Amino acid sequence: MAAQTQAGQKTKSLAAAHAGTAAVLAGAVGLALVPLTGSTYLVSALTEILILSIFALSLGFLMGFPKLVSLGHAAFFGVGAYAAGLVAVHLAPNIVLTLVAGLVLSLMLAVVIGALSLRSTGIYFLMLTLALAQMVYVVAQKWESVTGGTNGFTGIPYPELFGLIEFDRASFYYLVLILAVASYFLLRAIVRSPFGRVLVGIGSNEQRVRAIGYGTRGYKLTAFVLAGAVAGVSGALWAHHSGIVAPVDLHWSHSAEALIMVIVGGAGTLIGPMLGAALVWLLENALNPYTERSTMIAGIVFILFVFFARNGVAGIVRNLWERIRR
Amino acid sequence: MGEIQALASHLLNGLAYGLLLFILAAGLSLIFGMMDVINLSHGSFFMLAGFIGVSLADDLGFWLALLATVGIVAAIGLAVELTLLRPLYNRDHLDQILLTFGLALVIEDASEWIFGSTIQSLGVPAALSGNASLLGVSIPAYRLAVIAVGLLLGAALYVLLEKTRVGAIIRAGVSNREMVSALGFNITAIFGGVFVFGLALAAFAGFMSAPILGVYAGLDFEILILTLIVVVIGGLGSLTGAFWASLLIGITQILGQAYFPDLAALVIYIVMAAVLLVRPQGLFQRKYA
Amino acid sequence: MGTAEGASALRKFLGATGIAMFSAFTLLLVSCGGGGGSEGGDEPIRVGVVLPYSGVYAQLGEDITDGMNVYFEENKEIAGRPVELVREDEEADPQVGVQAARTLIEREGVDILTGAVATPTAYGIIDLIEREQMPFVISNALGNDATRRGVEYVFRTSGSSWQVTYPMGEYLAEEGVETIFVSAADYAAGQEMSTDFKDGFTSAGGEVVGEAYPPLGTNDYSTYLTEIRQADPEGSWSFFAGTDAVRFVQQYAQSGLKENTTLYGTGNLVDSDTLEAQGEAAIGAQTALFYASTLDTPENREFREKFQQQFDRPASVYAVQGYDAAWLIGEALKATDGNTEDTDALIEAMENVEFQSPRGPMRLDENHNPVQNIYIREARRQGGEIRNVVIDTIEEVQDPGQ
Repeated sequence: MAAQTQAGQKTKSLAAAHAGTAAVLAGAVGLALVPLTGSTYLVSALTEILILSIFALSLGFLMGFPKLVSLGHAAFFGVGAYAAGLVAVHLAPNIVLTLVAGLVLSLMLAVVIGALSLRSTGIYFLMLTLALAQMVYVVAQKWESVTGGTNGFTGIPYPELFGLIEFDRASFYYLVLILAVASYFLLRAIVRSPFGRVLVGIGSNEQRVRAIGYGTRGYKLTAFVLAGAVAGVSGALWAHHSGIVAPVDLHWSHSAEALIMVIVGGAGTLIGPMLGAALVWLLENALNPYTERSTMIAGIVFILFVFFARNGVAGIVRNLWERIRR
Repeated sequence: MGEIQALASHLLNGLAYGLLLFILAAGLSLIFGMMDVINLSHGSFFMLAGFIGVSLADDLGFWLALLATVGIVAAIGLAVELTLLRPLYNRDHLDQILLTFGLALVIEDASEWIFGSTIQSLGVPAALSGNASLLGVSIPAYRLAVIAVGLLLGAALYVLLEKTRVGAIIRAGVSNREMVSALGFNITAIFGGVFVFGLALAAFAGFMSAPILGVYAGLDFEILILTLIVVVIGGLGSLTGAFWASLLIGITQILGQAYFPDLAALVIYIVMAAVLLVRPQGLFQRKYA
Repeated sequence: MGTAEGASALRKFLGATGIAMFSAFTLLLVSCGGGGGSEGGDEPIRVGVVLPYSGVYAQLGEDITDGMNVYFEENKEIAGRPVELVREDEEADPQVGVQAARTLIEREGVDILTGAVATPTAYGIIDLIEREQMPFVISNALGNDATRRGVEYVFRTSGSSWQVTYPMGEYLAEEGVETIFVSAADYAAGQEMSTDFKDGFTSAGGEVVGEAYPPLGTNDYSTYLTEIRQADPEGSWSFFAGTDAVRFVQQYAQSGLKENTTLYGTGNLVDSDTLEAQGEAAIGAQTALFYASTLDTPENREFREKFQQQFDRPASVYAVQGYDAAWLIGEALKATDGNTEDTDALIEAMENVEFQSPRGPMRLDENHNPVQNIYIREARRQGGEIRNVVIDTIEEVQDPGQ
């Protein structure tokens, strides 16, 4: 009897998983159709949203599973952007080169920042990541010969792929879309792996996991580095998209923005932070033509989320789905 | 002017700056330590006090405007506590972050709407304009007043927390919330009181800083980060910690500007990172959870 | 079994529909306001404006925009085509600014771009418009390279960093100021301004006795003020803007330095956006700029009257920059008979526009940067308010171009 229920639950969760996969793929297909509308603005805007959603996804992975709330995540985004931008301008705008540069540099930085900040927990961890990331920010401002100082540097082109593809607005959009979907499935696979289960365990009760005999520090550091590397990739894409890299990419306010995206989207899921990125982007950009008080509206929306949508955008979507099922 | 006098002048200025930070951070540290609430709108109330103070000072004069400002901000804080924060005491930190961040955005935008987007400032009262001389070092009289007020307030807070019954309850609340409510105290009311008191301190600091820092939309988050740094270095919930951390930040910031100008923007972060790497729970952690 | 499977497939489908609905909603919101310009006889001429409308520099954005409105109020139609200003917020972030410019080009289909308060924003937009081959009139950013790059699409109606610093350096040395302490906010603009000032001052025989570069957003300037006191110079020259300017000037006055050491600087130091907050502390400061509200010319009087009438507040230097930007765009369009398609012709027309600027004589050099007077102004109390009064004029200052 018990075995039967268990099996039943398993099929049920499996079905839910497949439905989730189907939903994400359906969404991706829908997004893939957008360039057919011919609106260059829409493609640009969605490129931006998708890049930010990869950034939010990487932080959401960290906040949702091992429950590491960082306020320094922009450091990895920014370093990824600087690395990709520098490679594109000084070496070659080859997409493989720029992405690898962004990934490797942000990964190395994440090892350093993670190793130092994971000695603390909770708010102390949060503030340590903030402090270390702000140091990177100041370095970017001061190291003028390389980073262009406070002005940053411009003229970063769309990438190319070994002469096979010269990316333009539309094809770059597809590249970003593919990478967003790929990052999502990669992190989802990791969450569902035995490694991911340990991370979830650390998130709910670190002491118990340690008592079982896991070296939790190593697991947390690995998760931190992974999240940093994915953020670095999103930063690299950002450099190509915006054509300009500036210290503001590394600033704590950018980290805070990602943090809000994750919470509004729904911490504890992977799709939530991505949807949260879209919502926050909309609040910041789509209201401007209609009102001067968009900041206040964003604030009120956040407050309403706390009271009426505790599980964020992901929770709203799930409720919607549950309602349809009935 | 010799090197020694310059150093003394730096130290005095650092002391004034640090004490302003202390007034601001004391409230946040208590809210943090006792209520376990992350309040990202603390800097917003600081800024709001500046705006209100500037608009009142012309009619009421400096000192009366100071009192009125603290009263108004405390009243707004009470309304916020009753309507928004109280339902959230048992929710997790992420909810509190989102709520208080949303609140901070609302306050910032409302301030810009009501008070305008230009930078505003407050003149110092006539009695405190000009320079004072202390130990052969000349320092603006207003800064000397800030030092005096900061030290007095620090002493008053110390007495309040360490020597009175209310203080004992609050201290007990910081280290063990459940025990305090088990003893029959209305913990919700005490929380509300601490929150409003913390904001009143922030308002006081906001008003006193206006002649030095000016007031503008955006000051809120700048100040918030600085305050969080002080609170974390000091250790959550520790008034003593907040005091020494404020002085540490104030003075190293000033000395950093003077002797390591290239690192000026980094100094506070270096100090915080160094402290937390050696003591991962801050200098004076009270809570052993 | 079969029906159950069918039902669950249906559910999955509906679940996906839910997500799709959210996406569709997102798309709808994103695409809101989508315009897109096309040409035609009485199609509006769309002028894209990228300026800060929120944050600390919002007032600058408003002033520049309203300055433009003074011109377009009288020129609602050019060659039969109505003129529309399409605004986007530059904020304080170059990426937001560049993105805003891109939005204006791609979504709003503007015919010409203007704006950019911050130099990094201007540099970013220049890259963009060079690719898009769209004329761009910088109405504030002073960074030397914006025009020195010689991009044919770029025009400027403010001035260069060099123009507001180097000549004043020379001037002060020639006026007999021997020693100066230089301080500037530690970022690209601060470095550029202070370097050019020092070059001007030392080339004319002055001596820089000390330098300090406080970070942007410094709260407490007391250390630097102590350093100035130690160096004991005749004058102190500074470049600070916005909140930094308010804090520096106030703390400078509070420290008592003002009594012995005259405060010099660029116009930003005691500007319309900071003067009110600085109050008494600003009095006596001498600054260099290509405009002063007190200029006694018919153009300035007329402009200030119109501005006051239209917007019920006094015009600032930013309003003048906006007015001249609108003038440049409007007069050139009149010359091309409203044709926005032929970019080369439009640029040639812009090069030939004759200005009647409130700032006095003004023409464009070969890099499209203004050749203009630089006024040495002193902040004085005049008729109950503090104003920058012209005490000397350096005529026809042209950026060296490299």
